[in-house]
Amino acid sequence: MPKENEGSTGTTNHTAVERKSDRELVVTRTFDAPAHIVFEAWSNPELFKVWWVPKSAGLSLLSCDMDIRTGGSYRLVFRHPAFDQPMAFFGTYKEVTPNKRLVWTNEESEQGAVTTVTFEENDGKTLVTLHELYPTEAARDEALAGSADGLPEQFAQLDELLAS
Amino acid sequence: MTLTGMKKHVSVLEEAGLVITEKVGRVRTCRLGQRRLEEEAAWIERHRQLWSARFDALDKLVEHMKREEKVDAQRKRR
Repeated sequence: MPKENEGSTGTTNHTAVERKSDRELVVTRTFDAPAHIVFEAWSNPELFKVWWVPKSAGLSLLSCDMDIRTGGSYRLVFRHPAFDQPMAFFGTYKEVTPNKRLVWTNEESEQGAVTTVTFEENDGKTLVTLHELYPTEAARDEALAGSADGLPEQFAQLDELLAS
Repeated sequence: MTLTGMKKHVSVLEEAGLVITEKVGRVRTCRLGQRRLEEEAAWIERHRQLWSARFDALDKLVEHMKREEKVDAQRKRR
């Protein structure tokens, strides 16, 4: 069962999620806009904040620092009502090639993945491919698992959001 | 398929945790590692929910940015 797609394969606006191997996750989606626009939405902190945190997750983004250049670092700080302390996610941009490719590390844990995002423009549309490589299979299994217990309620909110 | 080939196939499935085998005497019995399959499906589903939500929001933003860019371009032409 290496592959599972979201229902409607006939439309362009569909997010495909694939477990490529024991250590890899691949997510793809085509956006109806040129690459420079899609890349801007990933690399401008003010725009990134708008979409990165699903509303249904109940998280608020306290700060979002992104020094978007090869070798630069980023730091996102979230607060969730269920936790006393804010949570920080941080790492380094290993590669920033405008309108083409972003590679960053996830250094909040030793088991963090390396994330590669590519932007491929074709006929005014952009295929975004996100690839996460985990150091071990166990690390991959644990990704998002910690938050899973609290998720059913959030998924219900998400369903409402997506249906609206 | 040869018996050796079959053994190889089963051992790959067993390593992946998708089947569990038990040997009693000369007979090796295989059964599905059901729990593992469910965990795998749940893992995919968690990630699909997250990325669908993110990318739906990104899609809306990108549409908005595209319209803004067109408006800007028209203004510049005038």
